[in-house]
Amino acid sequence: MTEKKILIIDDDQHLLLGLTAKLKAKGYRVICAADAISAITVARKEVPDLIILDLGLPAGDGFRVLERMRDLPDLVAIPVIVLSARDPADNKKRALDAGAVAFFQKPPDNHEFLGAIRLALGETVALSTFLKT
Amino acid sequence: MTSQASRRVDASEYLSPATPILFPSDSGLLHESANMEVSPTLRAELLDFNAWSEILTTYGRTMRVAVALTDSQGQVLGKCHNAQPVWRLVRDAACGWGSGCPFCITTHVPCTAVADALRTGGAVMVRDQAGLTHVAVPLLLGKLRFGAIIAGQVFDRYPEPLLLRRVAKEFGVSAQRLWELAREQRPVSNAVLRASGDLLCALGHAFLRQRYGAILEAKLAETNGRFRLLVEGVRDHALFTMDPTGRVTGWNGGAERLLGYVEAEIMGQNFSCIFTREDIQNRVPEKQLQKALEEGRAEDEGWRVRGDRKQFWANVNITALEDAGITRGFAIIVHDVTERRKIATVLEEARQERECLQEKLLSHVSHELRTPLTAIYIFTTNLLDGVCGDLTPYQHEHLTFALDNVKQLKSMVSDLLDITRVETHKLTVEPQHLSLAKLIDDILSTCLTNAAVKNITLRSDVAPSLPFIWADPARVRQILINLIDNGIKFAPAGGNVTVATRPSPEDEGFLCLSVSDTGCGISSENREIVFDRLSQVRSTTEASRSGLGLGLFISRELVSRHGGRIWVESELGHGSIFYFTLPVFSLAKLCAHVLTAPNLEAGCVTFIAVDVAAVEGAVQADILLEIRQVLERCIRPGQDVLLPSMSDAEPVETFFIVACTDAKGFEVIASRIVRELLNFDSASKLKPVISSTTVLLAPGQFGEEQIDNVAARVEQLVQAHLLGKERLQ
Repeated sequence: MTEKKILIIDDDQHLLLGLTAKLKAKGYRVICAADAISAITVARKEVPDLIILDLGLPAGDGFRVLERMRDLPDLVAIPVIVLSARDPADNKKRALDAGAVAFFQKPPDNHEFLGAIRLALGETVALSTFLKT
Repeated sequence: MTSQASRRVDASEYLSPATPILFPSDSGLLHESANMEVSPTLRAELLDFNAWSEILTTYGRTMRVAVALTDSQGQVLGKCHNAQPVWRLVRDAACGWGSGCPFCITTHVPCTAVADALRTGGAVMVRDQAGLTHVAVPLLLGKLRFGAIIAGQVFDRYPEPLLLRRVAKEFGVSAQRLWELAREQRPVSNAVLRASGDLLCALGHAFLRQRYGAILEAKLAETNGRFRLLVEGVRDHALFTMDPTGRVTGWNGGAERLLGYVEAEIMGQNFSCIFTREDIQNRVPEKQLQKALEEGRAEDEGWRVRGDRKQFWANVNITALEDAGITRGFAIIVHDVTERRKIATVLEEARQERECLQEKLLSHVSHELRTPLTAIYIFTTNLLDGVCGDLTPYQHEHLTFALDNVKQLKSMVSDLLDITRVETHKLTVEPQHLSLAKLIDDILSTCLTNAAVKNITLRSDVAPSLPFIWADPARVRQILINLIDNGIKFAPAGGNVTVATRPSPEDEGFLCLSVSDTGCGISSENREIVFDRLSQVRSTTEASRSGLGLGLFISRELVSRHGGRIWVESELGHGSIFYFTLPVFSLAKLCAHVLTAPNLEAGCVTFIAVDVAAVEGAVQADILLEIRQVLERCIRPGQDVLLPSMSDAEPVETFFIVACTDAKGFEVIASRIVRELLNFDSASKLKPVISSTTVLLAPGQFGEEQIDNVAARVEQLVQAHLLGKERLQ
């Protein structure tokens, strides 16, 4: 089985660094993008298996990225997990409606977040992941 | 001398009252003044001697008598004489003759002529010791006694030559001349005096009335003028009057300025012209007059229209003018409060802006705090997960403490956001069917680490069979964790924190939860304020002071959003028990609006279970949410009900429907569900399995009991279905 490829789109370099290390340790290949425009370019070039997307981005916000992806046949099927500091009350439904598979507010719970990634990648997930610890 | 001789005569012989001459009083005036109150000022004005002197002098000269005016007490207000120095001298020289009648030359009995005249209301004639007669006539207005006029024969002889000389000197005439004058003063005859009494009576009465009228008129004119000045002087209020039909009958300067009509053009117009077209269509003018008629007055604030069609925000006060139970019209005061309204609007806008800014600021702050917090969290968890290599137990311990603090910081940031939501009324709860026992176990295991650090025992004293509750699991978790963390914070090392449930008889339909600790307790005055914002009891030890003091405030808000209540029982030194109530899940309540008599006519209810499984792996949570929406479209709104998620494990894969239909109706619904789900999931990754059970209803009335029975049966079926699935797994 080939390594799953995850694209992280976030303008916070420290988050990219930490999350990359975390996901690499879990055996994923990780690529990063720091703004909305390069995000689409990188995504089309790399065609990742999963995208982790921040909402507040330079050069257009995360919702623009989601909309753009829906219009692109090569990207439309890639699952997107939104990871944002924004209030879920205002943004969760909007993000899910725009095509995201999950919404996490920063900082995300470690177990839940990893569980959601595995779920989105179609990997078997232990039921205990869903029981909050 | 004659006078000396006359003094020797017994007074009673001479002081003989004559028959009173009664004259008819003016009945109109009498009526008018029957209840009249006359002020001392008016009284004095009425009897102002300067006004009377001309008429009295004329009378005296004509009749050759002396005349005096007295008040109702007989006090002389003034005297007129027709060449009567003799009389005057006699009177003035005779000091010690007693007060009262200026005419009587008596030594013993005081003259009662004035008093008698006032008492009887007629003229009274008296003859004194000197043999002279005088007549007193009363001055009456209705029942009011004002005073009297006395007319008397003039004494024509002078008894004291010495005094005569002195008087002559005073008057600048010779004694001889004075004596001659005195001798000419022949008293009028008694008959003439008597007849003139009648005349004097009428004269006095007429003059008094005339004077009264004149004074009143002057006063009225003055009042009118003053009132007019007052009304006209009111510039910032429109004052006007209307007849009972609403036509304008009076208009002041303020009305002209404020409403833009001059008096001439508005007189007789209906006052509805100052209302907006919309108000006129809604019959507001009529309604206001009606209200003023019924309640005496009507007040209103709203847009009114000026003559130039410009609108202004007016405060309008209508008062019904009533006279003896009959409405004579209305008085209206209109005040332009447009400015005040503008200020109020600006203030309100400023308040909203401030609130909005505050919300923005707080959500911005919490957003900005989250970014570095996330980095710390990720790096800490990376280290703990061994991403950067193995850790020594000592390093692991320290990093665990760091992580705990990051988590605490995270919950504080969430609290900050919740506070803004409370203030902007955006704090919402999404209740669902919830098993409390499982949730409490789960929460207790989360709090174990915290408790272990302080060597505090966490205990659960939860009843074995709890009813399901109708609450938002995330919020219940938030409330309980907050209360437990508080308990841990304030309990001494080695203490206990216990989560328990108990029936709550006073809160029907609610379950009561409690979190008790063995901490320092809360004093009675602090018990009142612990749920207030930013209240952290000051006396607590430094070590236990952490957090923002928002937890209990947010907990109270969350509990009340669920419809429950929260309170604390505590005693200083004996720990505290926090109680809160949450609504018990009631299928009957949920179904009540669809399980109505018309819906249940078929005599049965069909219970439908839709199991949705994915061909590969689990169905994702957000897909389940969309399936729920699809199913909601498949059922008949108002007739069927899609039950909330009844399973505790997430994600739920079974949906339950209670349909008010029989087996045939079920087939229709089932085929619709299959079709819709196929549309939704064109890739056919989902496999819906639909099953149904028909619940037959006992014939008869569809009352609350029947609905409860159906609900209980449905709940049984739900549990059986879930259990069956569990067994299958």
